[in-house]
Amino acid sequence: MKFSMLPSVFAQMFKKPWTNKFPAKYAPSNTTNFLADVGAGKAKLIPPIETPPNFRGKIQYDKEKCIGCQLCIKVCPCEAIEFKPKEKKIKIFLARCCFCSQCNDICPTDCLSMSDEFLLADADPYSKDLIVE
Amino acid sequence: MTKEKKLTPEGIVKSFKDEFKTKIKDVQIKKRAAGKKKNETVTIWMKIDKSAFKKVIEHLCKLQFPHLAVASGNDLGKTIELIYHFTVNFGKRMEEINLHISVELPKSKLEIETICDWIPGALITEREKMEMLGVKIIGIPDDRRCFLPDDFPKGVYPWRRDETGPDKFYKNLHEVKK
Amino acid sequence: MKQTATTKTTYHIPIGPIHPALKEPVFFEFELDGERIIDVDVKLGHIHRAIEWASRKRNPIQILYMAERVCGICSYCHPAAFALAVEDAADIVAPERAEYLRVIQGELERICSHLLWAGVAAHEIGFDTVLYLTWQVRERALDLTEYLTGNRVTKAMMMIGGIRRDITKDMLPRIQKDLQYFKDCYNKLGKVFLNDKTVRMRSQGAGILTEEDALKLCAVGPTTRASGVKKDVRVDTSYFAYGDLDIEHITPDKLTGVVNGDVYDRIIQRLLEVKQSIELIEQCIDKMPSGDIVAEPKLAKLLAQLKKVTGEGVGRHEAPRGEVIHYVKFDGNDAPYTWKIRAPTYNNILPWIPMLKGEQIADIPIVAASTDPCMSCTNRVGIVKDGNKYEMTKEELHRLSVEKTRRLMK
Repeated sequence: MKFSMLPSVFAQMFKKPWTNKFPAKYAPSNTTNFLADVGAGKAKLIPPIETPPNFRGKIQYDKEKCIGCQLCIKVCPCEAIEFKPKEKKIKIFLARCCFCSQCNDICPTDCLSMSDEFLLADADPYSKDLIVE
Repeated sequence: MTKEKKLTPEGIVKSFKDEFKTKIKDVQIKKRAAGKKKNETVTIWMKIDKSAFKKVIEHLCKLQFPHLAVASGNDLGKTIELIYHFTVNFGKRMEEINLHISVELPKSKLEIETICDWIPGALITEREKMEMLGVKIIGIPDDRRCFLPDDFPKGVYPWRRDETGPDKFYKNLHEVKK
Repeated sequence: MKQTATTKTTYHIPIGPIHPALKEPVFFEFELDGERIIDVDVKLGHIHRAIEWASRKRNPIQILYMAERVCGICSYCHPAAFALAVEDAADIVAPERAEYLRVIQGELERICSHLLWAGVAAHEIGFDTVLYLTWQVRERALDLTEYLTGNRVTKAMMMIGGIRRDITKDMLPRIQKDLQYFKDCYNKLGKVFLNDKTVRMRSQGAGILTEEDALKLCAVGPTTRASGVKKDVRVDTSYFAYGDLDIEHITPDKLTGVVNGDVYDRIIQRLLEVKQSIELIEQCIDKMPSGDIVAEPKLAKLLAQLKKVTGEGVGRHEAPRGEVIHYVKFDGNDAPYTWKIRAPTYNNILPWIPMLKGEQIADIPIVAASTDPCMSCTNRVGIVKDGNKYEMTKEELHRLSVEKTRRLMK
């Protein structure tokens, strides 16, 4: 019945699957032990695919250039940026950030940019890794 | 009027004004150009009197059966304004005319007739106006709630800006948690 | 079958709010006589998130990102319609290069969405091989989207008065290569969907929506074009750069010569639209003018300009599922006074009632999925039969659909 699909199904048997098996070929039964093994050099992590240029990852903040104008706070759709009035600098909470990079566009001194880091998962939303200041 | 007769924006406005005279209160025709060749799209904004509403819709359906996109609502303090967004002349390249008919209803008597007998596709948008603004639609075949859950309290109308608005339900999560 | 056989009793089956056919919760109640559906009732509102109300505290640039999150698949068309509405109210004209870039992004999203739909429709019939094949092609489309915009799904490309990212000359070879790949895959997929006997058996004659019903119920998008009504915002009005391009209404009789309004016609309709999208992107790349990509690059000035606007605006855009319309009213404050969104699926829900009357239960997934509802999926179907309640999961409903295919194949 499926004559039209049969050639492509047959050809697929000899082709390599498209999936990049990140981080390991099979899911580890215990993630913490697996990560400890990787740290000790016993297991290898298959790296993820390269991100394209202009990928919107974790935000980078250049503190010296910031002038405290608060325009980024006005434009952030998630209210992820907080102003520190005494130092006139900002604090960004990555747990709320939606990675739209609108703050990059509006900043007059170009002190914000997006890196290509995307492996940001954490159990605590206010941990040190997830606050940029 | 047959379907082959070409409808122009001025022709449509004239046809309504001839039929309804003073009930058509305010008409604006706007044109907007786009692209390199600057082809224009025409929009007609029309304000009509509440008493002529059903007849205006009947006149429009007989002129050419329109496409009802949606009906939106505004709370203007003492009145509620309902705007019905229609389009006519679809099917031919770049000849569609947008037609927005707005009706103002006083809050003391919030009633309007249904248009479901002429345009059956208006059912869902009319039910939405009933629950969001508290407008009573006379003659609607199905008056259950459409988008709000059944246990949402009666008498609270989410789109309104007066005391029947939903402000008491509003909680600032980041103030509570952070 | 029944002991007291003098009066025929009908069953009432509630289906939902978590649902066999696609992405969002919807509640149906079917009245059945044996396997045939007699009447359908629809209830909505399970995913109501009060987005329009939340816009009362935000300025228009923040609202662009809220509009994006109304839907995951049509995540470009809601900011597009909102930007059109704001530009209409504030009388901002976007530069020509921006309009062409907007068309390219919109058509790329249409290709991704129709490929996703093709896979899901095949899955509902039970034809999983085609699901994997179409989603493999879709991966290439999503990779291209990520290369052009920085993200696969929520693209964040729209800005009031223009677009945020440009397509430079060094990006063009990659786009050309991917478009060529899509054209080759289109031929292969077209043969599978249109000539395969299984697909034809399940879809021809099922879920018919007549032209008169489609007009009266104000259906939009591929659902109504497959029934013969020529409604397409891109062709009927001139917005973005569609006024300059060579585009026409697509109805199934371009391929088969006759319009039936059944599920098979909707499959043909969406395949032809994928082909049209590929051609439109090629036309745009050829004709693209040079210039700015946004009318007002200094965003603080744009916000100040929008704060002074009073007036109303309406923006309409042709999303992959139909016409999206946004209405915006400004009154001189930071945030708009009113914002009304109407997603295309809400107009396509009422047509479900004439489409499903007279069909069998096993046809519910494919008929409901053929209108491509933007609804989220899942599990339970509760059946009340002779007073005993038992539940049918999505797996069972899907199994029934697959079994019907096997029966028809014998």
